[in-house]
Amino acid sequence: MEPTERKVHNNIPRPPAGRPAVAFRLALLAGFGGVFLLMAFAGIDSLRIVHRIEASNIKSDQEFLKRNDTLERIRADFYLSGSYVRDYLLDPDAASAEAHLHSLKQLRTRIETALEEYSLGLAPDERAAFTDLKARFATYWQSIDPVLSWDSRQRRTRGFHFLTRDLVQRRIEVLRIAGRIGDLNERRLHSQEQSVSALFQSFRQRLTLILATNMGLGVLLAAGTVFYILKLENDLWRRYKEILHFHGELESLSARLLRAQEEERRSIARELHDEIGQSLTALLIDAGNASALVQPGQEDLRARLASIRKLAEGSVASVRNMSLLLRPSMLDDFGLIPALHWQAREMSRRTGVRVELSADDAPDSFSDEHKTCVYRVVQEALHNCARHAHATHVRIVARQEPTRLLLVIQDNGKGFDPRHVRGLGLLGMEERVRYLGGNFHLESEPGRGTLIKVELPLVDMSEPPMKPA
Amino acid sequence: MSVIRILVADDHTVMRTGLCLLLERQSGFEVAGQADDGRKTVDLAGRLMPDVVVMDIAMPHLNGIEATRQIVSRHPQTSVVILSMHSDESYVLRALKAGARAYLLKDSAETDLIQAIHAVVAGKSFFSPGISRMLLEDYIRQVQQKGVEDSYELLTTREREILQLLAEGKSNKEVSSMLNLSLYTVETHRTHILQKLNLHSVPELILYAVRKGIIS
Repeated sequence: MEPTERKVHNNIPRPPAGRPAVAFRLALLAGFGGVFLLMAFAGIDSLRIVHRIEASNIKSDQEFLKRNDTLERIRADFYLSGSYVRDYLLDPDAASAEAHLHSLKQLRTRIETALEEYSLGLAPDERAAFTDLKARFATYWQSIDPVLSWDSRQRRTRGFHFLTRDLVQRRIEVLRIAGRIGDLNERRLHSQEQSVSALFQSFRQRLTLILATNMGLGVLLAAGTVFYILKLENDLWRRYKEILHFHGELESLSARLLRAQEEERRSIARELHDEIGQSLTALLIDAGNASALVQPGQEDLRARLASIRKLAEGSVASVRNMSLLLRPSMLDDFGLIPALHWQAREMSRRTGVRVELSADDAPDSFSDEHKTCVYRVVQEALHNCARHAHATHVRIVARQEPTRLLLVIQDNGKGFDPRHVRGLGLLGMEERVRYLGGNFHLESEPGRGTLIKVELPLVDMSEPPMKPA
Repeated sequence: MSVIRILVADDHTVMRTGLCLLLERQSGFEVAGQADDGRKTVDLAGRLMPDVVVMDIAMPHLNGIEATRQIVSRHPQTSVVILSMHSDESYVLRALKAGARAYLLKDSAETDLIQAIHAVVAGKSFFSPGISRMLLEDYIRQVQQKGVEDSYELLTTREREILQLLAEGKSNKEVSSMLNLSLYTVETHRTHILQKLNLHSVPELILYAVRKGIIS
């Protein structure tokens, strides 16, 4: 007994040292937040960049097409201008020559407008070629200008010569330069495409970096979390085992307490009944003997002795009651069933509740612990019936089977809800039964009485269950 | 009238001395011996052959009920008066089953003991008024609670007569000679009585009679 009690004191659970969990939880929270923010940032950034790339792609394409178009128009108009010059020079009809001239002038204005338009979005590398082109155009128009004031004779004589010798030469030069500008324009498109792809490249790098960071952080977080969970699991398991251990300790302690209490009650009951009760009875008889010796004329003494007897009588009765209430002597003298019968009768006598006990009258061979357990359970149940349930009829069945002892207590009282009400008395009953490895079952409902069923195994219970041999 | 020889058995010395004093005071009584445990009582009863043994139940070595059983089976002419602190039916019934003829509560010994001894010497049973009152009350309560009809009504006049004689401690043979019946008829009546009252032995029958107030 001593060493186990020592152990109880040594193993009192201590609160865990410090609280590292708070810092760790903060770190986890920050980590998860960071990963989430990073992912959100990566997503938004990607969308933005893709959008930008798309826009710039479209823009450069449109620009290219527009400039190319302008250039094509210039070229086409330029060709046309050549045709007008030729028609003007070669048309014998003065009126239609005049009309051709007019068209040519219009065309010139159009070309100049287009050139002006093209010069607006000029790239640096185009500038030289474009200046050249403009200069060539200027020379071209200069070379044409004198021709335009020729009369019909001049045109007839010199026109063909001018066409084949001067104009064709200049036209070729102009077209060459326009072609160069077209090339440049195309190169510009290409360079723009390159810049887009560079943007794309940088975007890819950035995305890769962010994703890699995220991945690394995620792996770290996962590792940390797993580690933490494992640690928690470990702690929990240890705590669980501790609780189990203390639960066991508590149970064995309370069983020992019950045993000690029962022992104490037994010895006090015996002491009261056999010693004090006997002494009081002896006193009673001796007082009677003494009063027989009283001489006539000593009535005073006789009255004294009578009062002593009366007092002793009352004391004997109360000592007997106290002793029986503590632990009825039948339990030890005759066994469980006679004690139960006594209790049933006593209950009927005191409270008027009808208590019906059905039990084999055969002598029982229950262990002391079994007897005490059943007796106390019945006592508590009857107490509840009278005190709380206000039952008028209680039925008790105690049956001994080869391997178990069955006890059923049923009352017609007001019942209760076992989910909400659980008094110390009920707990005590359950504990007593469980300590002997038995089942305690309680059924009750408001207005429907209470049923208690106890099943105690009768296999060798001489060894306490807490200490296997 | 010859002197009634009494053996007093109680482990409580003051009690025993008091009892002896009480008995010695009566003329016609003689305390033949004293014993303070059950074994010694059985021993002395064999040697002294007393008419009556006044017996406590709670005694060392051998309790009073066991001692009664042994004394009654060995010396049927000796009557045992149980003097006990216990008032419960289970003690009374067991004492009767063991063969005791009277059952007294110690606190009423001073008034009842003399009467009880005279009763058992005359072949009758005797119970403390407290005991018979209690048994009677229990019986009435049971009858009231169960609402069962009194089984006593089931008995014929002859059976009631025999019941009373048996409860007073008469043997079958005594009853047959008193009522002028054959022994066989008395035995048949006895069986019927026990059946009708749902009893199993003569001691239970005595207890029943006490409860009913047929004898006291």
